[in-house]
Amino acid sequence: MKFIKNHLMFILPLMAILLGIEFYMVFDRTTDSYEKGLREGYSMLVVTKKPATLSDFKALNSHIDKSEPIERKEIISEVAKGISQSTTKAILDALPYFYNVSLDSYMNTTALEKVKTDLESATNIKRVETFGSSYNSAFKLFTFIKFTLKLFIGFMGIVSLFLIIKQMEIWKYAHKERMQVMEIFGAPLMLRSGVLFKVAIMDAITATLLTSAVFFYIKFQWAAKSGIEIMMEKQDDLFKITDMAVLLGAALLIVIIAVYSVVFSSKGVQE
Amino acid sequence: MSNVISASHLTLAYDNGAKEIIKDASFNIKKGEFVFITGPSGSGKSTLLKALYGQIKPRRGNLVVGGLDLATISQGKLQELRTHLGIIFQDYKLVNEWTVAKNVVLPLMIAGYAVDVQNTQAHRLLKHVKLSEHADRYPKELSGGEQQRVGVARALAKNPVVILADEPTGNLDDYSSNVIWDLMENACQQLETTVLVVTHKIPTIFSLPYRHFIIESKGVYEVH
Repeated sequence: MKFIKNHLMFILPLMAILLGIEFYMVFDRTTDSYEKGLREGYSMLVVTKKPATLSDFKALNSHIDKSEPIERKEIISEVAKGISQSTTKAILDALPYFYNVSLDSYMNTTALEKVKTDLESATNIKRVETFGSSYNSAFKLFTFIKFTLKLFIGFMGIVSLFLIIKQMEIWKYAHKERMQVMEIFGAPLMLRSGVLFKVAIMDAITATLLTSAVFFYIKFQWAAKSGIEIMMEKQDDLFKITDMAVLLGAALLIVIIAVYSVVFSSKGVQE
Repeated sequence: MSNVISASHLTLAYDNGAKEIIKDASFNIKKGEFVFITGPSGSGKSTLLKALYGQIKPRRGNLVVGGLDLATISQGKLQELRTHLGIIFQDYKLVNEWTVAKNVVLPLMIAGYAVDVQNTQAHRLLKHVKLSEHADRYPKELSGGEQQRVGVARALAKNPVVILADEPTGNLDDYSSNVIWDLMENACQQLETTVLVVTHKIPTIFSLPYRHFIIESKGVYEVH
């Protein structure tokens, strides 16, 4: 019973960290396509005096990714009904050129304003419309969710790390007598703390397997049967086999740092 | 015979030098000698022994054990030196979660001996201290005298250059004490191991010629 308790006290905080890491990876993957959609769905309107090409826009700001001309004939097709061809031509000649311009990344309002200012600095450009307010609210909500999640995961990670180190201290105390005797007889650090490393690595593997099992369940059982459209659509993104390697790597790194911090904090030769 | 232990103007202190225990002591101990160090409680006997296995660094002077100066020794060299020492403690310092056999072969385990060599040596050493039948038992299941015999067997495991013993019979009855003294006397005679014993009282049963140092008023003096 004590044995199980000792290990659970180490495995559970480690699992909390791993769950946090995996949640973040899943969130990042699933929202990546949402972010892409926002970015691709967004374009600004640029009005020019003369025709312009993508390279003309790129020369003004490197974040410009695509430009698509809006057919001028389509713009005046509605108003030109019943108007003579020569008048239509005169309107067309007087009309400026319109472009839908897309960006290479999802930006905040300040960055968007900078793009606008850069474009407006060109004499050929008459007007730039960024549709900033609708863009900004979606962006703010999105970054807020991301930030909150990061904050929560970070907080959970710190608390869990303290619990892991605390448990290590208990283990060190339990193995203190043996480690001291081994030190007196000349055992190097790695040999005398070998048991701590062995136990910690075993627990790291166990925590990785349990965390993976939780996400396998979410992916193949819960998400598949949830009836939630986005969950079913993004089922592949919920857990990937490569995530196990990431989780194992993170778990091993955490336990090795924890063991080292505890082992090196013990006193050696007195002066 | 060459000196195995050599102290020159040795000062040992605690609290960053504020509390001096041994001051300006000089002495030499040769290979194969049996040496007693006595003195009143709190005189610094155990401190000197701790310094001899590198647990406390000399504050001033030199303390050379097996050709290595403990005042300037590196951690790596100290670890190596300790593998050539056999140390016996009053409170035995056995690992309670290990069997008697495993405790005995600890120095061999540290030195990286193969498991079959360790097993053979465990058998030989436990036979030597007459504890063969207890090989698979745990220290807590043995009497004090038996536990100290395990401690002696562990000290002898790697044929050490020096055996350092801190009040090895302090917790034992006369019969068990005599067994321990016999074992250490044999090690000194048969293996030419230098034995240095810190004790408050020299046993009367001794057959070997021995040297005797006394620690008094922070000094280490030879008694003739």
